[in-house]
Amino acid sequence: MTIKGIAGQLLRVDLNRKTITREPLPRRLFEDYLGGRGLGAYYLTKEVDPGCDPLGRENKLIFMNGPFVGTMVPGGNKVCVTFKSPLSNTYSYSLAGGHWGPELKFAGYDGLIIEGESEEPVYLWIDDEKVEIRPAEFLWGKDIQETDNLLKKTLGDPGIHVACIGIAGENQVKLACITNDVFREFGRGGCGAVMGSKKLKAIAVRGSGDLEFADAKGLKELVEMCLPVYKQHPKALDRRNYGTNELVIHINNAGFMGTRNFSEGYAEANREFEGPVFREKAVFSDAACYGCPVACSKYCKADTRKHGLVKLEGPEFETLALLGTNCGLTNWDDLLKASAVCDALGLDSMTAGGCVSLAMECFEKGILSLEDTDGLDLKFGNCEAEIKLLEKIAKKEGIGADLAQGPAYAANKWGAPELAMHSKNMSFAAYDPRGAKGMAIVYATSPKGAHHMLGPVFPMEMAANNRFEEKGKGLLVKGAQMNFVILDSLGICSTNQAGFGRPQQIEALRQITGLAISEEELIFKAERIFHLEKMFNVKNGFSRKDDTLPRRFTAEAMTRGASKGQTVDLEALLDEYYGVMGWDRDGIPSKEKLSQLKLS
Amino acid sequence: MKAIKVKAEKCVGCRICEQWCSVGHYDLINPRKSRISVHRSHADQASYPLVCRQCPDAPCLGACPDKVMALSRDRATGAIRVDEESCLACGKCIKACPYGAIKKHPAEKQVLVCDLCGGEPQCVKHCPEQALSYIE
Repeated sequence: MTIKGIAGQLLRVDLNRKTITREPLPRRLFEDYLGGRGLGAYYLTKEVDPGCDPLGRENKLIFMNGPFVGTMVPGGNKVCVTFKSPLSNTYSYSLAGGHWGPELKFAGYDGLIIEGESEEPVYLWIDDEKVEIRPAEFLWGKDIQETDNLLKKTLGDPGIHVACIGIAGENQVKLACITNDVFREFGRGGCGAVMGSKKLKAIAVRGSGDLEFADAKGLKELVEMCLPVYKQHPKALDRRNYGTNELVIHINNAGFMGTRNFSEGYAEANREFEGPVFREKAVFSDAACYGCPVACSKYCKADTRKHGLVKLEGPEFETLALLGTNCGLTNWDDLLKASAVCDALGLDSMTAGGCVSLAMECFEKGILSLEDTDGLDLKFGNCEAEIKLLEKIAKKEGIGADLAQGPAYAANKWGAPELAMHSKNMSFAAYDPRGAKGMAIVYATSPKGAHHMLGPVFPMEMAANNRFEEKGKGLLVKGAQMNFVILDSLGICSTNQAGFGRPQQIEALRQITGLAISEEELIFKAERIFHLEKMFNVKNGFSRKDDTLPRRFTAEAMTRGASKGQTVDLEALLDEYYGVMGWDRDGIPSKEKLSQLKLS
Repeated sequence: MKAIKVKAEKCVGCRICEQWCSVGHYDLINPRKSRISVHRSHADQASYPLVCRQCPDAPCLGACPDKVMALSRDRATGAIRVDEESCLACGKCIKACPYGAIKKHPAEKQVLVCDLCGGEPQCVKHCPEQALSYIE
């Protein structure tokens, strides 16, 4: 069996009819959509009705690899799942690193489309060309680690790679993730709930196919040339030492690190989570996703007095902030435990953290009573209460059932809509946009809700020393958004772009696939993909009225730290950005824009 | 005699060694065709690269049936050599290897053993962690 960066095939699994079909992926589609996120946009917008019930039979889970996945390109391991989100009711996608995406490619598939829904719990076993839908009663109710262990035992091979859901996904909790290799999540947007609605517990993969290149010799030389420089890049070194948690010191010092439900952007207590302390108190060893010379992942281990022995891969920075500082946690033992609990349950630790911090602020303000919380003393910093609440969310028990619908739903029901730190019902990432105004555009206009990786511009804003400026951010954000469409479609982890930039990416794309695509063409394709995603939402009635931020960011000035006094003028930011994008005042792409992108 | 020595405590499980073994031998990537394999363990929070140690008393050599005689020593490098024509992939060498460092080719009737890339092992050259070395 032969696979190439392009001209591969797609696996389609219908869980109603229990059919498994293979279809070719035409070269033309790779040329137009590149792979990964781009191909996801092509298939979802073509096959799924924007108005459909995200937890119904019509929704699909579309896993797509990019052409870099599985190759020697550093960090070529990101696989994208595209779906309609039950959390935000919008277009959504989520990327995961790890080793599962490459394994799917070695099994002979650039992509996998799951459609329909099963009546009984099932799992999918992909062993090269042998693909089976199998009963999964024995896995239902198991946590992520148990599911992974049981499948490896059942299939008799510890070397297989498993993507699965935990009980949060089974219960269709709207902040449930899909997890691969136990600790690598397709985190955001509730794809785990979609998988749960289809009664699909897991996708186990083993592949033994060849991944061939148009110019293997050229690719070898290119990667060999980049690697030595690469390992010495300051960002790579920082990430190696402290993982993504290298960010704590920068973001906390700059005063925009989400703390106590974003009521603050700096806390002295947050310094406990800085990189060097992390390395000393929590890290056991370094780990890497497939083909990554940075190895930013950290295995953590702590023998804690309160929680016993805690072991996990992670936590990453966003988890640290959302489950940690944002809920008032101040020590590593508590943070590691809360993170491990989310991992086991299969909850997106970011939106889960945003839900817990919302409940904590409501509790401290008297909006929720002890009776409402089933006796949980939800004060900021109470880790035991936090863990119990996370379990309630995953099981949809008590107030957990409200939060399982997302932070906006719960806050509305509790009569405190302004306290949910969300956009489109998704909790924010760590970066308070009051401290980096470009992020306000990124969050508010994101098609999937308040996610940072649509276009993380804060490092550029910090480097340019203009993070409080509102003027000029539209163009900056657009550039970052297009860059990320390209990275997410090619399948390279953004951490690796420091040492493997656009010229190298273009060269590698040619060597892998034979496709010669210029930077201008790449950006055009990116803009086209981005607008496909956007138009899915427009067709579903989304417009400027939905590109929102909580009142806290627009009306309450930050009270302390290096971003003190700041608020966000969202309307001015949106006006400029919509103009840059060629959208009207209501945030709708003009006819001219769509025809220029060949989308009309 | 030089062989590949593994320092598992330095391995991060990136599997770049597998990539370069595969691409070095076949100009393509296929982890199942790599003669070095990295086993990741969440329980141990560690990764273990498995590769032939080129043992002086190589039990695999003795295990290969007399009628087959597919395994031999390379005179220049001392590496275990597999004669692809005569190997039947019967698996006796795989069982005999105390380190689990021999595996079946995923498609052909032959086994895969580290051949030291003729004296310039690609896995050692490309390991970003210096977890592998080629020494006496």
